Amino acid sequence: MDGLGEQRIRLGYAQAERHVRPGTDPGRPGTGPAARWSTASSVEFRTRKAHSMDVGLFVQYVMNGLMLGVMYALVAVGFTLFFGVMNIINFSHGDVVMVGAFVGLATYLGVSSIGVENPWGQLAAAMIVAASAMALMGAAVAKYLVLPLKNAPPLNTLLITLMLGTALHEAVRLFYPRGANPQRFPSLLPTDAYSFGNFTLRIDSVILLGTGLLAIVGIHLLINRTKLGLAMRAVAQDEDTAKTMGIDFDRIVLITFAIGSALAAFTGILHGLYYSEVNFAMGLLLGVIGFSSAIVGGLGNIYGAIIGGFLFAALQTLGVVAMPFASAYKDVFAFGVIILIMAWRPTGLISEKISERV
Amino acid sequence: MNAAAEPLFAATGLGKLFGGVVALDKLDLQVFPNQILGLIGPNGSGKTTFFNVATGIYPASEGRVRFDGADITNFSPQAVYRSGISRTFQHSRLSLSLSIFDNIMIGNHMHLNQGLWFNLVTRKAFRRQFEENFEQARTLVKVFDPPLADLMFEAVEGFPMIDRRRIEICRALISRPKLLLLDEPSAGMTQEETSELMGDILEVKERLRDLTIIIIEHQMDVIERITDSCVVLNFGQKICEGTYQEVARDPLVQQAYLGIE
Amino acid sequence: MSARGRLAPLLPGIVVAVGVTTYVIVLLGVESQTGIAALLAAGAGAVLAAARFGVAARMGRAFGKRDNFLNLLVVLAIVVLTVYFYEDHFVLLMVATVIIYVIACLGLNLQFGYSGVLNFAGAAFFGVGCYTAAVLTKNTDVPHLVILVAGGLMAATVGSVLLLPVLRTRGHYSAVVTIAFGLLFKIFLEVNDTLGGPQGLRVDGMNVLGWEFNDNIEIGENFEASFYVNYVVVGLILLVLAFALVRRIERSWIGLNLDAVRLDETAASCFGINIMRWKITAFILGNFLIGLAGALYAMMLGFIAPTNFTFGDSLILVSIVLLGGIGNPWGLAVATTILIIVPEKLQAIQEYRFLLFAVMVILILLFRPEGLLPRPLRAYFPGWRPK
Repeated sequence: MDGLGEQRIRLGYAQAERHVRPGTDPGRPGTGPAARWSTASSVEFRTRKAHSMDVGLFVQYVMNGLMLGVMYALVAVGFTLFFGVMNIINFSHGDVVMVGAFVGLATYLGVSSIGVENPWGQLAAAMIVAASAMALMGAAVAKYLVLPLKNAPPLNTLLITLMLGTALHEAVRLFYPRGANPQRFPSLLPTDAYSFGNFTLRIDSVILLGTGLLAIVGIHLLINRTKLGLAMRAVAQDEDTAKTMGIDFDRIVLITFAIGSALAAFTGILHGLYYSEVNFAMGLLLGVIGFSSAIVGGLGNIYGAIIGGFLFAALQTLGVVAMPFASAYKDVFAFGVIILIMAWRPTGLISEKISERV
Repeated sequence: MNAAAEPLFAATGLGKLFGGVVALDKLDLQVFPNQILGLIGPNGSGKTTFFNVATGIYPASEGRVRFDGADITNFSPQAVYRSGISRTFQHSRLSLSLSIFDNIMIGNHMHLNQGLWFNLVTRKAFRRQFEENFEQARTLVKVFDPPLADLMFEAVEGFPMIDRRRIEICRALISRPKLLLLDEPSAGMTQEETSELMGDILEVKERLRDLTIIIIEHQMDVIERITDSCVVLNFGQKICEGTYQEVARDPLVQQAYLGIE
Repeated sequence: MSARGRLAPLLPGIVVAVGVTTYVIVLLGVESQTGIAALLAAGAGAVLAAARFGVAARMGRAFGKRDNFLNLLVVLAIVVLTVYFYEDHFVLLMVATVIIYVIACLGLNLQFGYSGVLNFAGAAFFGVGCYTAAVLTKNTDVPHLVILVAGGLMAATVGSVLLLPVLRTRGHYSAVVTIAFGLLFKIFLEVNDTLGGPQGLRVDGMNVLGWEFNDNIEIGENFEASFYVNYVVVGLILLVLAFALVRRIERSWIGLNLDAVRLDETAASCFGINIMRWKITAFILGNFLIGLAGALYAMMLGFIAPTNFTFGDSLILVSIVLLGGIGNPWGLAVATTILIIVPEKLQAIQEYRFLLFAVMVILILLFRPEGLLPRPLRAYFPGWRPK
């Protein structure tokens, strides 16, 4: 990566640490708790006492933590879907989230340039195009990259998806116009906000949170209440028996990948709306976080993935609160705790699907 | 056989739960020295699970296992091996990309010097050990199939199922175990091949003189031919015990296999 | 057997070695981009033709029996290269870099080629070695050769702290832990001012027994060789040692244990193999080599910065091992040479190299997972025949 790209990634991480959109709060130009978390401006706020936290700030932290948790949970659920159906780790998932966000952005740019002005219309277009495009891509990935490696050692599938993810984010960096820089993502949701003391409740945050939770519930219902979900679960349990019961294994795999990728696109757009920007490297860390969340909860278990996602977000938030001067270490802290949990409970907090026949 | 003799291997009240599923249910099983015990039962009756618990792959939920005078319950698989128990697997777990010799040597782990200094520095001594073990492995393979003994450095994946089974049994025997657990060795073989394999197993037992075997099988003529005694499992429980003839006549056994009321 | 009789079977090998060395010399010397592209195309064509007509397979078998000879040829080739380009800083820097990367990849190969322990933080452990060298050369008087070893030890220590918690678990756990480490290492360095922050650190050049490595070698009045020759020599010595170590390991019961652990942990356990012991051994030994290589690299470059140690760089190391052929040290050497030299010479693709390598690995995994030079069966003593 060239030096310029490196600079931008660094800024991207610094941006990501601000859990409120930069500079858009009416009357609160970047002095709120979120600004404290930014590495760039940490100097001015070292004088603040770490313990002066009122209810408003606390609620702000909780709100931001919840939002992070929803996103991590969504990514973790994606990983779970892929592992569940084929016992594989699909490491391109984080980067598919990123590509979904970029496709959404490009769609927005496209439809707004042809005259669509209504933000809901723009949002709907972005969602639909991104989700369909990613679904198609997911099915193609399943068909051409994953299924052919069914009988190879699982390491190979992990590697191929990891490389696919690399190819995706490099392609965006190289071929999207000014792809190495963070791209501004439009605010398509209503930006009304209500102030309660130190805490600002933004309507769009509420909408995002709600939609994210709805998506999780939706996936849960899909897996547990539909015939398709039943087929997916059957395939996850025992491929041979499912086949003898007439389930088309390959088709289910394709569909699972399509659904997982569409979910990724949805998550990507959510991410873009929340942070008001996207950048080509956002998938990497998200992917690793989502994956560890899924593991810590117990791979193959949707509830585990959700719990893992919220747990990771909680740990990150805790890290920021405990060390406001060293917020970059929040990731190190969170991962450290996660690794310790993995060491203590190797099969996950709930439990990993036992897939091996002896 | 002296009925008062100590069993070489004894499982008492052995139980295994997987979540809510009872795979083994208060199983009592004994094998006496130099005996060949057949373990039979319909699919899913717990035979392989019994092997897996006995060899430490799964921890027992309850009960005890004694072997050669020691309590080996919940020993690690490594410790079980070191105490003298070796096994084959239902799904033939050989390392296909390795040579026949390599696969067999994996089975001889405890007799090989694993020290870094020995392996990396004192190459002359290592060479001696290597050559000795090569001879041993080749001799063992010769018992089962002389042509195979000339192909010791070919990759296993090029060989048909019957040869792979033979190699797997050699891997289990090379360490001169006291107890050998065979899990459906004849799966995937023709009648002739099975018969040949069983003959080889009996021959090896003659040569080794201090070998006890528990064999899981579905082919009843194998059981009839080589076993001294049988245990029948159904739903993780022992439902019958005795010689093959006795067991075959037992109505419970017939019901388990054939569903006859 | 007469001298000629003994020489005859070695002839094809010698011819090939001379041919390849000449090719590499020409490739390294040419500057024009089209010239380089043409040369690369010709080289690829020649290799494909050799594979097609079975020449490659026959040579592989012939070399397999006499690999000490092959190693000697390779060392000679590198010496010839170094002598030919004695003044050329750029070429010698590349040669030294390739040598150092091969050492690091040998370590990686021990980890996941032999014992199946995934390590996606190769560049981070390499960086640990680099920063150890930087800190020790600046702040202490530790002899530089010892610093090389210290770099290796630090990487090994950090690696074991990282890995011990997850060794009891499945393969994908070590993947996640090493990916996380690979990603966070760079961030950690940038935030941490004591290690230079994003600006990086300066590293003193190597100095062994008074011989200052960073001075050009001057003999008499007319002869001046690039100072990189020093590093090539040290690198070559270390490479020979590392190579010998890795090969010895593979050709012993230890190598067998590592393979058993990689191929089937359950079966390996049932035959007494202590899975954790061998995974840890492989991982620590591998990391030692990676850190060692890093320490040498830092002293050679004189300056290191967090941007050298990204996750993408770790993936490049993994790509090298996969391209070369998992578990085959010669394949590794070939792959390193290709993947380091080609982007350096063909400037046009420098920018695209992460993308190209990723696509390349995808194609390898789909169509030739065993890599360029598939790993041959274990021959404990090459050429040994049973009586």
